[in-house]
Amino acid sequence: MQPLRIALAQIAPRLGSLDENLLRHQELLAEARADGADLVVFPELGLTGYLLQDLAAEVAMRLDDPRLAILAADTAGLSAIVSFVEESADHRLFIAAALVEDGAIRHVHRKLFLPTYGLFDERRFFAAGDMVRAVSSRLGAGVGIGVCEDFWHLAVPQLLALDGAQILVNVSSSPGRDLAARNEVGLGTATSWRTLMRTYAQLTTSLVVFCNRVGIDESISFWGGSEVIGPAGDTLLAAPLYDEGLFTVDVSLADIRRERIALPLLRDERPELHIRELERIVAERAGLAVDATAEGGAGPDLDLAPNVAPAAAGEAER
Amino acid sequence: MTAGRPLEARFELPDELAIDTDVARRIIAEFIRGQLRQAGFERALLGLSGGIDSGLVAYLVAEAIGPERLLCVLMPYRTSAPASRADAEALVRQLGCASAVVDISPLVDGYFGSEASPGTLGPAGADASPLRRGNLAARMRMAVLYDHSVTWGGLVVGTGNKTESLIGYTTVFGDSACAFNPIGDLYKSQVRQLAAAIGVPDTIITKAPSADLWPGQTDEAEGGFSYPVLDRLLYWMVDKRRSSDELVALGFESAVVERVERMVAASEFKRQVPPIAKLGPRTTGIDYLYPRRRPGSART
Repeated sequence: MQPLRIALAQIAPRLGSLDENLLRHQELLAEARADGADLVVFPELGLTGYLLQDLAAEVAMRLDDPRLAILAADTAGLSAIVSFVEESADHRLFIAAALVEDGAIRHVHRKLFLPTYGLFDERRFFAAGDMVRAVSSRLGAGVGIGVCEDFWHLAVPQLLALDGAQILVNVSSSPGRDLAARNEVGLGTATSWRTLMRTYAQLTTSLVVFCNRVGIDESISFWGGSEVIGPAGDTLLAAPLYDEGLFTVDVSLADIRRERIALPLLRDERPELHIRELERIVAERAGLAVDATAEGGAGPDLDLAPNVAPAAAGEAER
Repeated sequence: MTAGRPLEARFELPDELAIDTDVARRIIAEFIRGQLRQAGFERALLGLSGGIDSGLVAYLVAEAIGPERLLCVLMPYRTSAPASRADAEALVRQLGCASAVVDISPLVDGYFGSEASPGTLGPAGADASPLRRGNLAARMRMAVLYDHSVTWGGLVVGTGNKTESLIGYTTVFGDSACAFNPIGDLYKSQVRQLAAAIGVPDTIITKAPSADLWPGQTDEAEGGFSYPVLDRLLYWMVDKRRSSDELVALGFESAVVERVERMVAASEFKRQVPPIAKLGPRTTGIDYLYPRRRPGSART
């Protein structure tokens, strides 16, 4: 089987400068094509920059925007994943990542989980997507896309794999923080992401592609460190932290087959069990069913009764 | 490292505060370059006191954009320690950056007066407290720096650290005024660690930190705390969200915890943009929210 050549565009988008970023995408697509890439992945909001705030509405594009058509025209004979602010017909703004192939938009993933805590404020400016779909692609394997925070929710990579994805792609604008010297690579954020990507690769026996941006938006810096992880959790490509560039690796789809036959975790998944138990949990949390495992006196959506928690009780005794 | 002396011999670095200095330098260099580029500037300037904070920032800026694009402005007052100026001058020579000296004594004395002659305030100026004098000196330095930012064609880089910001040991619109601050999220102990890593001269790293507002003043004597203890306390309080009781359980003296919590709360106003009364449909900072640097915002 022909190897699949994946190119990760670890770029530093200019905040709010759509035209400039579009040109950069075109340059890198041309470079990747010359290098024989089959799949070129750009980071979350690579076309607009991340910390947009009220600029979001000004850089938003409908899917029929001519600028997207220009970009799509550069994808003859290859696949690309690009990310931008999508405005829906009813004027909601989404953080979108599109799979573009052979000149056309094949699939659009709208970011499902919008972090609005700590340094994040996404829910203020964006609408959350409602769909998880793996799609077939010209690469000869199903592709599943998640945007950054989507992969901090266990269900997303699993749903994508169950839906047929063999290549899980996460595009990110992950701000680096926590410089404690004890961290694996001098950055707490990088350590966390590396752990997650390997875990998903192993648990879903899929190829995991992580493309994170670099550069600075206002106070925050993005750490890069894009990776391609094999289905057994092995590192196939680890791009440097903070350096801008196009990083390329050859992967083999045969490795996914081998791993799934040797370790048939996906075969053994029990989605019907998930549904049953999730339906029960949802009903109980909504107070529509009695929680058989709840403590006596617990409220309709709680497992524990509203008395003093054990830890605090211990504290009081001392 | 200079002269092969171990870090521990020069200052105390609490374990939990140790950072990866290579990563820090990388992020800060990108930050400085990004801030300047987005604002349409190629040059920077800062007030160099001879202390470790401004010394470190000078090194960081020089590393990010080259020393030839950095102007260090030395702004002594007549009672400033001569050693501070000597340390600042040595640092300028070592870095090879541009420098200027502006004696702020006539500016400050012109207002409060001096032994030789009364100032704008008349005889009342003679009674001004050291705090008032210190604050005016800090604001005069700010005014001088911003004037030089025009002639130098550069942005003013902030040199305040996280410790002094959190306890409010700053002058509003004085030393805290800047276009951007590369070390405002580093505790004093981390400033020392980074300064040692980047090659700030030993004399600057090891001398007692001082605002140099009057002869012999030191931060630690004035505040009644040591930086390693204060830094650890703030780290657990702010970064690790520990409650007062939990802080005491970690071994901090309850009187110190209480005092520092008061200082942090009392100085909240110094760390924030002043509130604007909400009247119109769209108000800056509330529901008019744009990145500080966006398309069209750069000087052309």
